[in-house]
Amino acid sequence: MNTDLPNPRPAGLVRRALLALALSSLAALAPAQPMAAAHHDHASHGRAGCTTTDLACASAVTPFIDAQGTLWIAWSAGGAVSVARSSDGARSFGPAVVVGRHGAALDVGADARPQIVVDAAGRVIVAYGVFKDKAYNAQVLVATSLDGGASFSMPRSLSADGASQRFPALAVRDGDGALFATWLDKRTVAAARRNGGKQPGAALAYAWSRDGGRSFGVEKIAADHTCECCRLAVAFDAQHHPVVLFRSIYGTRERDHAVLTFDDAGNAGAPRRVAIDRWEIDGCPHHGPAVAVAGDGSYQAAWFTLGQLRQGLFYARSTDQGRSFSPPQAVGDPEQQPGRPYLLARGQTVWLVWKEFDGKRIFIKARRSPDAGRSWSADRVVADTGAYADHPLLVGDAQHVYLSWLTRDEGYRLIALDDR
Amino acid sequence: MNTPLLRLIRIALLAAAAATPLLAAAATPREFTEDSFAQIRARYAGRPLVVHIWGMTCGPCLVELPKWGALQRRRPDMNLVLIQADQAPARASEQTLQGAGLGRAESWGLTQPLDDYLRASIDPKWAGDMPRTLLLAPGGQLTVIRGVADIGAVARWLDGVAARK
Repeated sequence: MNTDLPNPRPAGLVRRALLALALSSLAALAPAQPMAAAHHDHASHGRAGCTTTDLACASAVTPFIDAQGTLWIAWSAGGAVSVARSSDGARSFGPAVVVGRHGAALDVGADARPQIVVDAAGRVIVAYGVFKDKAYNAQVLVATSLDGGASFSMPRSLSADGASQRFPALAVRDGDGALFATWLDKRTVAAARRNGGKQPGAALAYAWSRDGGRSFGVEKIAADHTCECCRLAVAFDAQHHPVVLFRSIYGTRERDHAVLTFDDAGNAGAPRRVAIDRWEIDGCPHHGPAVAVAGDGSYQAAWFTLGQLRQGLFYARSTDQGRSFSPPQAVGDPEQQPGRPYLLARGQTVWLVWKEFDGKRIFIKARRSPDAGRSWSADRVVADTGAYADHPLLVGDAQHVYLSWLTRDEGYRLIALDDR
Repeated sequence: MNTPLLRLIRIALLAAAAATPLLAAAATPREFTEDSFAQIRARYAGRPLVVHIWGMTCGPCLVELPKWGALQRRRPDMNLVLIQADQAPARASEQTLQGAGLGRAESWGLTQPLDDYLRASIDPKWAGDMPRTLLLAPGGQLTVIRGVADIGAVARWLDGVAARK
């Protein structure tokens, strides 16, 4: 993005000339190379200079495979969110459809990405965050396609509340096809401020839609005092209850993880702490967790922490709906910054992928459990790259589980993970 | 009296008054690339340097910034370099820094995502959490403050490195 970096001062010619006269002695203070100048791209690893809305310029891509096996992707590029579909496993894509153009207002933060789901009726629903004011308050926009992704409704605010909202996650419930949306919401923080109080973080909000995202029911707060800058993780248990894993705030600044499960009526249960890491930080980790539910009902959790008690990437499982978790197990090479985990379960089989970086190359590593996380295969590198890389994600169709990964040099890839 | 000379002086004075926003425009961030941090370090070599990394989308960062503005006012001798690590437009970053009393501080910003390579160019141990402050002593020793900084501790560090000179 950044196609529209403003010029420092669009001053009138006359005024500028006068100022130049008056300030010639101060000119040395001016920066040599303002951001608005042409990109130099000394750094050959990044995305600088790529400013179109094409997939080739994307910074984040999110996949979804529908019931027919069609791959859908939504991506952020050039300040826009776009969607395309592929019926040949990402070898080729149909025409890109721009869902919304927002320029620099599009949320392309480190853990933000557009969300896309397709429900049983074939409705394509996309959600993403945009910044709505100078204070960088955000809102979650939702758009729906009723014509198989050929066109989308005008993106509109998911929430009726005026507070800041970011980091949407969408999921379609099997069975009745209801659309579940959850996001991070500053309304409780805003209320505390109105009452003269101070509250860090945000709250976990949610709502259900019965019409493919065209309207949402009552917005509710599932948990207050959450971290405001980490993506959310959502999975369903066997009874079609959403399970949400998120970074919470314990005390005033311990940004550790919690999980909560929704009930039959679609209401949030009590949050349970996944692990006591004691990551005390008055700041934004920008690093959200992953969750899956295996065939035996066990919750699979993976997360990143720099806590007092442990630092790095960790995995744990719960056999009692999140009331208690196994001792956190370190994942990956601690010398290579393991992070950005993603989990997917198919019956008793669980896949875990994550990212590592050795200072020169970025690796996606994978491990697989045949028994709902009790034991795991050796780690193996499934892909690597030498420049900008999005977070690794997992997606599955009837036959395979795939790594979904965007890199600058290789583009978007869907890589089947075999059963090794 | 309204001689051409006086009129010119008046225009110059008006221009000086109007100059305030332009002066503040000195905070227009420079584009931060993978080379930038090495350049910054080289430029401040042998001198104590405070590098503060913040983001427009990071709430705690925005709450913290005015404290840095206050410290800079109290310690005008402090070598402070600000890096805005979201891809926020230059103007948003500039206005926020002005509001925090940091309109004239040396400021850098990203025009591309904060990726592994950019992070490693600053600090190989940095996972991307913000805010983050690096205290670089004249001898090169690095002290990292994760999250919102204790400004008093930064002031004490400045005193400490000054005393060792």
